Amino acid sequence: MNALGEILHLLRKELLLEWRTRYAIGGILLYVLSTVFIVYAAFIRVEPATWNTLYWVILLFAAVNAVTKSFIRENSARQLYYYQMAHPLHVLAAKIIYNVGLLALISLLTWGAMAWLTGNPVKDYRQFILALWLGSAGFAITFTFISAIAAKADNSATLMAILSFPLVIPIVMTLTKLSANALRLMNDSNTDQDILVLVAIDMVSLGMAILLFPFLWRD
Amino acid sequence: MNKSWWKIASILILVYVFIAGMLGPLKPGIIRVDPQTVSTGQELVLQVEGYNSHYLEAGDAIRAWLKLDDERALGATSVQSKSETQLEAVFAIPQYLPVDKRSQDFVLVVDNAVDGVSLLPSAVFVRQDSIDPDMGLKVWKNTPIEGLHYLKRLTFPFRNILQETIRNTYFHVALWLAMVTLFMASLYHSIKYLRKGLPDNDRWAVAYTTVGSFYGVLGLVTGAIWATSAWGKPWSWDVKQTMTLIALFIYLAYFVLRAAFEDPEKRGRLSAVYNIFAFAALIPLIYVIPRLTDSLHPGNGGNPAFGSQDLDNTMRMVFYPAVIGWTLLGVWIATVSFRVERLHQRMLEDVDS
Repeated sequence: MNALGEILHLLRKELLLEWRTRYAIGGILLYVLSTVFIVYAAFIRVEPATWNTLYWVILLFAAVNAVTKSFIRENSARQLYYYQMAHPLHVLAAKIIYNVGLLALISLLTWGAMAWLTGNPVKDYRQFILALWLGSAGFAITFTFISAIAAKADNSATLMAILSFPLVIPIVMTLTKLSANALRLMNDSNTDQDILVLVAIDMVSLGMAILLFPFLWRD
Repeated sequence: MNKSWWKIASILILVYVFIAGMLGPLKPGIIRVDPQTVSTGQELVLQVEGYNSHYLEAGDAIRAWLKLDDERALGATSVQSKSETQLEAVFAIPQYLPVDKRSQDFVLVVDNAVDGVSLLPSAVFVRQDSIDPDMGLKVWKNTPIEGLHYLKRLTFPFRNILQETIRNTYFHVALWLAMVTLFMASLYHSIKYLRKGLPDNDRWAVAYTTVGSFYGVLGLVTGAIWATSAWGKPWSWDVKQTMTLIALFIYLAYFVLRAAFEDPEKRGRLSAVYNIFAFAALIPLIYVIPRLTDSLHPGNGGNPAFGSQDLDNTMRMVFYPAVIGWTLLGVWIATVSFRVERLHQRMLEDVDS
């Protein structure tokens, strides 16, 4: 089987697994909705600057919850079976691609929920959606890789947060700046530079993940 | 040759850094002047407060200028020294200035044979109510600045905001560079561990990370002390401060990760993977992001770089040894930490057998 076919097959497996254990994705959606509702109940009217911050904080926690399970959901024996059947890097690639899609979906949903309850301050849609995509990619790559490390420990959920949050702070900082520009909170002429930084961080993380995963999957 | 020569060298270098760095005098400079604003057509009697200066010793040979630009300057009509650090300079400000600004700042230049030349940027602001550059050109009595005394002495540069705190360069900046070197050594051993799997490489990586993090904390503390005097408060959420704090969090997470595993092989492998991944994430943190956002640090966000002007040859004579000395000391501490850890391991093995 060629590489692309293998990755597609593994992607299908991820989707199927998600569909059969619907509680996981349902839990994330419920988390997003209830957090947005709490924000609405507490603020009623949300200033655009606060909206921007809250949006990324909610998304950050939703993302870490959604991605943590990628290597923890299945037990290590079954994962070893996957690594025998397919190339380990293809397993990682499938999980990253799946998580990018999942996070993009969650970020759109969070946006929808916040727009519905607290108003939609986004002015530049193209830029905001670009920020969402780049953010989803960065979160997905970093969190997937760290979850592969954390899955090897016993209390993986705690470890996941400790290991991954410092790593994604640069992404979050650049994202809030970019989306603040999309909300017209500030007028930044060199958004291209921010986009470039995000792409560069995503690329470096992806490169390191591919380079280091061979040392990670073996037990 | 004793193979511990570099340990002795690190101590000798650091003793030199402390003595030369703390005791080396600052170049004479000007702290403040009074009054700072004056109107056109007035006689300005300027009280100058010097630092490390010898105005009495220099006697009558002191000259002073208010410099407008590289070609034009106003010479003082009389200069009188009241004490070693007090100077009274009298300037005749013309009716009109050859500029079309309402308020023009002048650089104060004081020169004498004992202290050499010293400057105070934007020392005096001259207000003019009626603006006429052509008249200004006509009434301007230019006194060219010439015959300045550039003395070659072993003194550190005088910077108006920094003053004596410029010595912190040998600690704050040098410790920071040593920290980066130690983290790179740790990265090297992590990569080697993944390739060879020798337990010693894992121990070296931990030892270097420990000392590197310790240096990071010292760098933050010395930076906070410096910031208290230069920026007014120890912590101002400057982008470099934030980034360094995040870097420390990352390395703390490294130790938490190590604590989570019992099996030494697994612990070594996973922490090496995290170390390499974290280092790759640290590069954009420390080098790229501060260049894109505003920072109070020199060389960022429009601030002048800590370049040739500040790091002069005398400072280099202390700064470069300081970097080498701190790095060697760090390597030494790491060596001790490595050996303690290895002995600890052997002791456990003896108990087992």
